Amino acid sequence: MLKYVIKRILYMILVFLIITLMCFVLVRMLPLPTLPPEDSHTKVVMMRREALGYNEPYLVQFWIFLKNVITKFDWGLSEKLYFGQDVWTIFRQKLPATMIVNLYSIILSIPFGIALGILAALKKNSWVDYTISTLTMVVISVPSFVYAFIIQYVFCFKLKWFPFLMKSGTDWFSPAMFRSMIPPVMALSFGVIAQFTRTTRAELTEVLTSEFMLLARTKGLTKAQATIRHALRNCFIVIVPSIFGEFIGILGGSLIIEKIFAIPGVGGLTLNAINGLDYNIYMLSTCFYTIVSLSASLVVDISMGFIDPRIRMGSRK
Amino acid sequence: MKKFNKAVALALATVLCVASLSACGDKKTSVSSTSTPASASSTETSTSSVEEKQVEVEKFEGSFIWKDTVSTLATNWNPHTYQTTDDAYPIDDVETVSSLYRLIFNDANHPIDGKEPFTGYVIVPEMAAADPVDVTAKVRTEHPEFGLSDTAEKVAWAIQLRDDLCFDDGTKITADTFVESFKRLMDPKLLNYRAVDYYEGNYAIVNAANYYFQGTTSYSDNGKNNKYAITDLVKGDDGQYTAPNGDKMYIGLGYALEWTGGDTLKDYVDAYGAQYFDVSTWDQLSALIDENGLVPLTDENYQLFLPVITGNEAWGETEADAFNYFVQAHYYEDNYDFANVGLFKSGDNEITYVLNNSFDGFYLKIYALSNNWLVEPNLYDACLKETETASGTVWSSTYNTNVETSRSYGPYKVSDYQLDKSMHFVQNDKWFGWNDGNHIYVDPTDGKTYPMYQSTEVDTQVVAEAATRKQMFLAGEIMGYGLQAEDFDQYRNSEFAHATPAETIYFIILNGYEKVINEREAADDFDTATTDIQTALLNTFRRAIAVTFDRDLFCATVSPARVAGFGLIGNTFIYDPETCAYYRDSDQAMQALCDFYSVDTSKYASLKDAVASITGFDPETAKKLYQEAYTEALEKNYITDADGDGKSDQTVTLTYSISSDSDFMTKMIDYLNEKIAETTVGTGFEGKVQIVKSAPVGNDWSNNIRNGVADVVLAGWSGSAMDPFSTTSVYVNPGQAYDGKWFDATAHNMTVKIDGKDVTLNLKQWSDALQGEIDVNGVKYNFGYGIAPVETRLEILAKFEGEILSTYDYIPMMNNGAMSLLSQQVYYVVEDYNPVLSRGGIRYAKYNYDETEWKDYVASQGGTLNY
Repeated sequence: MLKYVIKRILYMILVFLIITLMCFVLVRMLPLPTLPPEDSHTKVVMMRREALGYNEPYLVQFWIFLKNVITKFDWGLSEKLYFGQDVWTIFRQKLPATMIVNLYSIILSIPFGIALGILAALKKNSWVDYTISTLTMVVISVPSFVYAFIIQYVFCFKLKWFPFLMKSGTDWFSPAMFRSMIPPVMALSFGVIAQFTRTTRAELTEVLTSEFMLLARTKGLTKAQATIRHALRNCFIVIVPSIFGEFIGILGGSLIIEKIFAIPGVGGLTLNAINGLDYNIYMLSTCFYTIVSLSASLVVDISMGFIDPRIRMGSRK
Repeated sequence: MKKFNKAVALALATVLCVASLSACGDKKTSVSSTSTPASASSTETSTSSVEEKQVEVEKFEGSFIWKDTVSTLATNWNPHTYQTTDDAYPIDDVETVSSLYRLIFNDANHPIDGKEPFTGYVIVPEMAAADPVDVTAKVRTEHPEFGLSDTAEKVAWAIQLRDDLCFDDGTKITADTFVESFKRLMDPKLLNYRAVDYYEGNYAIVNAANYYFQGTTSYSDNGKNNKYAITDLVKGDDGQYTAPNGDKMYIGLGYALEWTGGDTLKDYVDAYGAQYFDVSTWDQLSALIDENGLVPLTDENYQLFLPVITGNEAWGETEADAFNYFVQAHYYEDNYDFANVGLFKSGDNEITYVLNNSFDGFYLKIYALSNNWLVEPNLYDACLKETETASGTVWSSTYNTNVETSRSYGPYKVSDYQLDKSMHFVQNDKWFGWNDGNHIYVDPTDGKTYPMYQSTEVDTQVVAEAATRKQMFLAGEIMGYGLQAEDFDQYRNSEFAHATPAETIYFIILNGYEKVINEREAADDFDTATTDIQTALLNTFRRAIAVTFDRDLFCATVSPARVAGFGLIGNTFIYDPETCAYYRDSDQAMQALCDFYSVDTSKYASLKDAVASITGFDPETAKKLYQEAYTEALEKNYITDADGDGKSDQTVTLTYSISSDSDFMTKMIDYLNEKIAETTVGTGFEGKVQIVKSAPVGNDWSNNIRNGVADVVLAGWSGSAMDPFSTTSVYVNPGQAYDGKWFDATAHNMTVKIDGKDVTLNLKQWSDALQGEIDVNGVKYNFGYGIAPVETRLEILAKFEGEILSTYDYIPMMNNGAMSLLSQQVYYVVEDYNPVLSRGGIRYAKYNYDETEWKDYVASQGGTLNY
């Protein structure tokens, strides 16, 4: 197992370097905005581009980038979106808001989603199942920003239960901050709950009809015991990767929800960096999410062994 | 207007003394009439230093928070590097800075003859202690390093600074601070974006360019600037020609030339080759192109170059056009001494500006003597960072990017900042203006005197969605809401709605590029049996289109926040900033419109009434013109009438080039088609003219109309609200003009009677002469600002406007604008919009309720306000 993990980590580093190089080159291949010759600022912009090394070969630029990251953990300065500011500092400032809102959403969504999925599976083909399944389909079909606007209109504008926007400041765990996070958390959660409900219901329905479940019942286990001890554990082979997928989503944030509720997170950072050709921000966010994704997939693979002992990663016949 | 406690007088000397002694010292000793409310019964008197008389100044008590929203929050309000209006928000909107001189509305303390209070403006010293003093003669004698010529006038100005200036941390601002700040702005290693505003252009400071570019070579477009022909140049020892000042000259083969709109000759030759050029020498010539796209201008290279542009009639140029391809290279001396730059400390707390150009009055005080580059030097230096790059190093700064690195010297300072989320500002108690008796105004509604800047705090939140802004506004949480299209029916007549006009006039631009239209019709996939576009070239047809639409109705239908536009120049342009006189209100401009729209002015009591009668809509004339166009189109075989029913067999189909599809586009094109259909009834074009949308083309929409591959667009130009004369350039420069490919402004003459004599120049020459001196066959003309009488300039501009309108390439439709609701919590002293001061912004905003009262009021309305 250890050997397998080490091997995977080495592969991860290789994949990470390849992705980083590709992103570094590709983003620089995008044409920089054309500068009007009659604009007096053109010359200054051209001189700055020259000083930034944009006219040097890509590999030379990449080497400097890599050297600064590895030796000084210096991801460079923002040149466009946050002029002159250290991109790692910006990223660190913006990440908590996204993470906390999405974490609350996950904490709310997973138990609800799994519970509803179990309920629907256990009550299969009853009105409960039909109701849950129908609602699930509706919720999945409607984009989350629609809920966001509805939630904002009903709970913030009409009922005045919550503020319109997430509270300013970094007191992430204060009651006022928590209250201001409830609308975006609700907006984010609906879709996630529906996804977990659907996945759990589908998996559990299949497992519940398996022969080993019949065996478990004939052994004398109650339906609840059989479901919890055997059926659910089997379902988790599918559900756990979904949870990790959501975890990566936490870090990525939701562009539109963050916009509607003024969450100062990282939701639109990568997109804005590409649009603004802010190379260093783009590289940092890309590298960050690459590492998170690669790590998450490794963790998922390893965790499978614990969920289902039949799965043994890296073992040889 | 509630809860103002009146104040009683203190002597001015006392106030000023206390203010000046306390302003830069301990915060607690500062006397502030706004941030520290007195008890209900206390009163205070200050004396206006302008009037030198005692006046009672009302005092505001309570907390007044200006609650603002932005779509994008400022991330860098460093005055040396900011690039966007979002970043300028703390500077321009919240006034975290002050200026040497500032504009204020005219009021009882600052009256203007013939103008009602708050309908004009005056300029008063702000950070300056007095008006600038012209020291040109002295500087010429004592400072030869600036190289002032014997004829230079009004270029050197000395300004005595106030003694009580300081940053929000108490650091004093002196003449040295000004000089050190400017030195940092111009520091060559920092490559500051804003430096360009002071080394180049109208307001450049002497030798600033030499300092900024020291040790580098700068290239300039000879066709745009000096226009040296080869006979004007001097051949150097190495065979390369030089300009009269010694600069080396090159041929710009791969150099982006302005007259081509940024293309290079190499682009053209590579694209078209022998179709347009003589390429016999091109390979030999192009092999000489260096990394800057240049080839040294020598006899040999010139002989290789000439055939390229003159050897093929399709390109149609002669040797006389060769100068357009020359590029002048200027080398800036290395290690240039900043002492030679025209901004220096000239006395005890006095600075002197030495400008490249002469200025006086409005432009001098408001633009030329700008100090918006002022920074706190020590903090600025601490915020600099040098970063290694692939080509060496580059410098960046974090100055004015967060609370810690921010320095204010205006009435407000940044107190809290969260990236992409919010900014909070509080009153800067170190600001010199709180107690100086100058920052007051007389409200014309009650005749009382009030201090400026009633807002005790400014809270700015990022709210990206209009729907959220609207709900927050109705819940009383923000001060304003910009109306969206769907809001107009409900709110346009609200007493809280304010219209804000903008400079841009939107025109329908009609394709007149005959060559391309003919090519399009000749294409294999063009069905000439059913479709025609050549008719759009007919003057009668274009005139018919021009009188087909009621501009007021058009605006009401497609964009209610905007108002009808009839000329090239919008309603907000001021032709004389000294007096705030509007161009559209001038007799010349009104007459130009009446002439163009054939209004019989004798039928009206005044020109203003005559102009007011213009709608742009004349269905009878339109019908007549459509019928004339029909006849003409038949004669020219653009269309046919095979069945002899008196109707065109072809539908004149005009393609509207859209950037992206939207409700606005659909609504507008539907409206245009509907009105064309109505107006063509009974003519040969009945039901035979239509405008159709193109596929969305993004930013290519403008190229499409310029290149004649689209037939209609709605577009406009914005410009400096105080310089309508400069707008002429966009109609005569082929690189800018929408009709540049088919309208030659140099071939279109215009005669204006000046000083009793007829002066005839082409439109390009008139436009250039309005900006400065031109030479036409050895005769110099200059109708620039401060040179020609303003009446003459107006005469030229109005006539120019009429000439361009007469091409029917541009059909004015609407004047840009927006409409917004203002919270019931506040109001502006002035309702009418002023292009220079708007409605006074935060400086003149007054509150109906303080924060506590406002919350109670909103609650009493059930939490949702009715507008």
